[in-house]
Amino acid sequence: MASLSSFFVLSPRGDTIIKKEYRFSLGQSGAEKDLKSSVEMFFRKVKFWDTSKDGGWDGPDEARAEADESENFDMPKVDAPPVFLLDGESFLHIKRSGLIFGCATRYNVSPSQTLELLAKIAKIFKDYCGTLSEEAIRKNFILLYELLDEMLDYGYPQVTSTEQLKMFVYNEPIVTTPIVTEKTKGSNGKTASAASVHKPVSVGGVSSGKSGKNEIFVDILERLNVLFSANGYVLNSSIDGCIQMKSYLSGNPELRLALNEDLVVGKGNGQSYGAVVLDDLNFHDCVNLSEFDGSRTLSFYAPDGEFVLLNYRIASEFRVPFKIMPAIEMVTPTKLEIMLTVRNEIPAENYGANVVCRIPLPRATATVFCEMLGAAAGVEQTAEHLASERVVEWKVKKFSGASELSMKIKLSLDSPSTLQTRKEIGPISLGFEIPMFNVSNLQVRYLRIAETSPSPFRWVRYVTQSSSYVCRL
Amino acid sequence: MPSKPKTAGGSDSRFFTTQKKGETHELRTDLHSTDRSTKVDAVKKVIASMTVGKDVSMLFTDVLNCIQTDNIELKKLVYLYLINYAKSQPELTLLAVNTFVKDANDPNPLIRALAVRTMGCIRVEKITEYLCEPLSRSLRDEDPYVRKTAAVCVAKLYDIAPELVEDRGFLEILHDLISDANPSVVANGVAALSEIAETSGKDVMKISTSVLQKLLAALNECTEWGQVFILDSLSKYTPADGREAEGIIERVTPRLQHANSAVVMSAVKVILNYMNMITTEDTLRTLTRKLAPPLVTLLNSEPETQYVALRNINLIVQKRPQILENAIHFFFCKYNDPIYVKMEKLEVIIKLVGERNVEQVLLELKEYATEVDVDFVRKSVSSIGRCAIKLERAAERCISVLLELIQSKVNYVVQEAVVVIKDIFRRYPNKYESVIATLCENLETLDEPEAKASMIWIIGEYAERIDNADELLETFLETFEEEDPSVQLQLLTATVKCFLKAPEETQEMVQRVLDMATEESDNPDLRDRGFVYWRLLSTDPEAAKAVVLSEKPVIEDDTSKLEPELLDTLISQIATLSSIYHKPPEVFVTRANIRSVAEDDDEEYEYEDENDVGVQPSADGPVDLLDMGGGGGEQNGSAPQQNGDVDLFGLDTGGGGGAPAAGPTCVKTQVCDGSQSGGIIVNCGFMQLNGKVSMELDLQNNGQIPVTTLAIQLNKSAFGLAPTNQQLAFNPPIQAGASGSYSIGLTVTPNMMVPVAAGAAAPPTVQAAIKNMANNSVFYFAANFTLESIFSPDGALDRTAFINTWKSIDDTKEVYSTVQLATSNIETIIQKFAATNIFQIARRPVPNQPGQEVVYFSCKTMTQHSFLAELTFKEGVSACKICVKSEATAYASLAKEALERCAK
Repeated sequence: MASLSSFFVLSPRGDTIIKKEYRFSLGQSGAEKDLKSSVEMFFRKVKFWDTSKDGGWDGPDEARAEADESENFDMPKVDAPPVFLLDGESFLHIKRSGLIFGCATRYNVSPSQTLELLAKIAKIFKDYCGTLSEEAIRKNFILLYELLDEMLDYGYPQVTSTEQLKMFVYNEPIVTTPIVTEKTKGSNGKTASAASVHKPVSVGGVSSGKSGKNEIFVDILERLNVLFSANGYVLNSSIDGCIQMKSYLSGNPELRLALNEDLVVGKGNGQSYGAVVLDDLNFHDCVNLSEFDGSRTLSFYAPDGEFVLLNYRIASEFRVPFKIMPAIEMVTPTKLEIMLTVRNEIPAENYGANVVCRIPLPRATATVFCEMLGAAAGVEQTAEHLASERVVEWKVKKFSGASELSMKIKLSLDSPSTLQTRKEIGPISLGFEIPMFNVSNLQVRYLRIAETSPSPFRWVRYVTQSSSYVCRL
Repeated sequence: MPSKPKTAGGSDSRFFTTQKKGETHELRTDLHSTDRSTKVDAVKKVIASMTVGKDVSMLFTDVLNCIQTDNIELKKLVYLYLINYAKSQPELTLLAVNTFVKDANDPNPLIRALAVRTMGCIRVEKITEYLCEPLSRSLRDEDPYVRKTAAVCVAKLYDIAPELVEDRGFLEILHDLISDANPSVVANGVAALSEIAETSGKDVMKISTSVLQKLLAALNECTEWGQVFILDSLSKYTPADGREAEGIIERVTPRLQHANSAVVMSAVKVILNYMNMITTEDTLRTLTRKLAPPLVTLLNSEPETQYVALRNINLIVQKRPQILENAIHFFFCKYNDPIYVKMEKLEVIIKLVGERNVEQVLLELKEYATEVDVDFVRKSVSSIGRCAIKLERAAERCISVLLELIQSKVNYVVQEAVVVIKDIFRRYPNKYESVIATLCENLETLDEPEAKASMIWIIGEYAERIDNADELLETFLETFEEEDPSVQLQLLTATVKCFLKAPEETQEMVQRVLDMATEESDNPDLRDRGFVYWRLLSTDPEAAKAVVLSEKPVIEDDTSKLEPELLDTLISQIATLSSIYHKPPEVFVTRANIRSVAEDDDEEYEYEDENDVGVQPSADGPVDLLDMGGGGGEQNGSAPQQNGDVDLFGLDTGGGGGAPAAGPTCVKTQVCDGSQSGGIIVNCGFMQLNGKVSMELDLQNNGQIPVTTLAIQLNKSAFGLAPTNQQLAFNPPIQAGASGSYSIGLTVTPNMMVPVAAGAAAPPTVQAAIKNMANNSVFYFAANFTLESIFSPDGALDRTAFINTWKSIDDTKEVYSTVQLATSNIETIIQKFAATNIFQIARRPVPNQPGQEVVYFSCKTMTQHSFLAELTFKEGVSACKICVKSEATAYASLAKEALERCAK
């Protein structure tokens, strides 16, 4: 059964910011345990996860662990798996905005449920605090404890929807200014999207009519996974897409969102030429699908705060936005030239933002010289050799559609180039974000909001991002 | 709604200022203030101190006073304070009981629920009687918020006072809540029932047809969390037939499209478990097709969820490879996957790889082998080798990829490749020796014991094909003393092999190695092996050849390495932590109540032991021996707790097990061949001696390390067995190559019973997990249980009862067979039966059948299943017909087999 013994939030340094016990914890010996010490033990384990000793996978034997010890010092930090057993208890955790949301249980719980629950708690915290940071949590701790009491009872998930929780909560959020420099993953941070609206939901039990703007944000977000071979062919490609919303609508009107009429779900349904074909899709709890099969329309009452209306997945081929074309030439045995061309194939009216191309270099690299070629005027770009990481990082702030950029990297090596040296170059990865563009052609035909006297603002955005966008050499 | 006062600072963080002296006093004054906002602020400050770990219990009564208010904000704050202390300082909270009882009648549902919720958290038995009244009212409250809180409270109460919950009929009310109109109430009702079912081992869920319909209806109405609870309950239900299974699957399938991965995983679990019941090929094929997309979609979620999905998929592809057979490319690693996801993806890839996709997979693996992360690279390299071992036709391609990687000269790549190439040699002997030359070029890069040992094994095994084998070994021998024991052992063996193949050149070398192994080493394994070789070589070189150079069994592909029984257990545990650890839940779930049962038993035994020892301290051993091990068996169950006596017990076991005792003997069968258990071969049997049930183990230690302490766990079985002591201490330890035995005392407890599904036969096996404490390795086995081991001494029925029962049991519940016997003497059989608690009821000649006699017997298991038996004999014939009748149809066949065994 999914029952947690305790829940806690830790800062990146391991300080307990919030903790809550639901059950007595029992150690392996059967004795009661102190939550504080077991959380500390948990944090050490996460921080210094050692694959060779604790491996959830078939860990190599002790002897090798010892042999590795010298290497371990300069090895990159290893991510601990999200679920592991420690002194008779199972710990599950996720990381959000640098914070660890974790819990312990001694039952044979459903790990997916527990992780989803942790994610949900993090989301609710964010909804109520406006942003997720150590400071925001500390400032709002009484509110958050109040929320936690409603979200979990005896370790069971209870109410976890932002607007239902409002009925039970009496404290008001205290707004903190989000720290912009904070390292955030994924969608946050780069361009404005629904997720980045740092505004807490309004609290107060009664109607939120006058408290805020009457508006709703809709993002059609697509993350691309593309793998190119050295000669530019696409080996593997897929789109992870979702429609993400954040609602500040007053009242709670019914919404109707219509997608492309020619949307096809699942392969092998015969004619799909020109249509948008999704391999699979799934929906949020709130969605009523009665009209989906007929008119591809979803009706729902939007929960407050941020939520994902639907997720979809496309594995069939699509037109990739960027093509990566590398070429390596050996000038002399100790001199290599990497010629790299990146072509943006999206329409000229769109552009790729914050395009970052990383080219790993061989171990034997001695000196690096980068030369950016033939760029049109006004292209802001930089190339930098990061010696400690052994990569060249090439950044283009705004990469216009239907254009191409090239760069030449001249390397000199400590020792003559071998087959192995060549192999150490690559894979080249590309990170980018394309505003107001999506690859799949999935479209929101309309978003109708029932019973609207002052028409709410509707912000519909399309964003395409790279997830794993890599070219092998 | 009153607005929160905005004081200077404007944030809760101001409450975190450090507490100076006198502050407690100040707070106390504020708490008694008549001004509400001062009060609220004071309570907030108290809670702030509490959350940073300060003890504010001295303010308890002051805070409690504030609860007498109409202000909900203040009341909630006080409850926030109380719920924290309810757990840690229950005796304090008792002061508030009256308030709780009063608040449970408050007109505001929020307050009613708060009171019930907080009250349930106080783990003091005294409070339970106060709790029952409000609880039973709350369970029927008009407000769903109160009902849902009350439902959870039942689970809390069950933890403190299970009898009370049963007596008050709360379980029935929970059952009614499954059909509540409110989804959250349904969710909590199901959650509470499931937890009670799991902790108590009782089937409180009682899924009947009507409950089933309720659950399925609730599935559509419920919250996402409730859906998970319902699906998990459904997965434990056994449908009556394939038709019902299909019906349920149809209702569950839409859940596969849920955005919550937990709902998807639990739906997958239900469908997988029910698929066993479905026989129509078409339906199976459709289901197989439907399961793939949602599983693949899980791979696009957050990495944490992906990890859970991958561990589960790992099991699913072992059970039903068809589901994802065309999906291998979805498991290819992305460069930004976290390491734990990449490692799991590799595991799945290697399980899905086949002739059709091996080319594609090898290209991928080769790429991975050039990445930066050392662990990932290693695993990629060894995966290439595993492809070779799995797919004979692709072996050559794999080896060429490995050779290419060896050319990179990257230290750890080479070592990993050497290790896996050794395995390839063991899979395809004498086939790919051409690569040895390449390996030999890289000897100097090897610095890890495993790689060195592998390389040395290869040299020894193929010494005749390597021109300078002796020279190569010679270079390794230079550092013999510093090497890891595993390398030393391989060096010893390889040198001896080399000597047997080419005695002339290596005479001196083998002498030196034997000297070093037997005289200079402290390692007993090495010395033993050295002496064995020495003796062999000096007495009969031909025999030595036969032993050392004998043909070795070809190793198997280990990519589907879970044993079928374990796999089935784990498949039924999909979407639980069990499926993450790939261990049955008993191995890691520690639970208070089960342990307390075990502890009680231990104490009892200890007491008996002390008595024995006290009365006859020195004669203990011999007496037991005369007693034919009767007492020995009993004491062995708890022997490990008494260190001083252990040697004697060791003797006893030998005596008890070896001597053909008059009582029942124990037939042991091999349950574990050593391949999964680090070389420990286990023979296992069950017996009952003087009323004590025991599990008898014979261990043959073919591993490298001595066996000193093992821990055993039994899975729940149809027989409800639990070890009285989980630690098996061997004193003296079983050295490598030696053997020993152990008798584990067992108790029969309902907690460990798995109810047998209606219509099915009870599975005859008991699954066990043994952990070797020396290296923390765990292995599993399943042993066939002999039902007579739990025949209880009170199994005799009087004649009338027997006749009535016999008549009342329907003839369809009858199983029979004919057995060959060693004797035609009926008396012998009766005696044999009596020794195993099978009691004679009556004996009479068969009317109109001269020379035939029937004998009636009854017996009963400690799990309270009764069996009636009729044995028909014919004069002068050494055989009889056995007929067993019982209401416990699931066990009838097992009882019949038990009788057959006892009669022989």
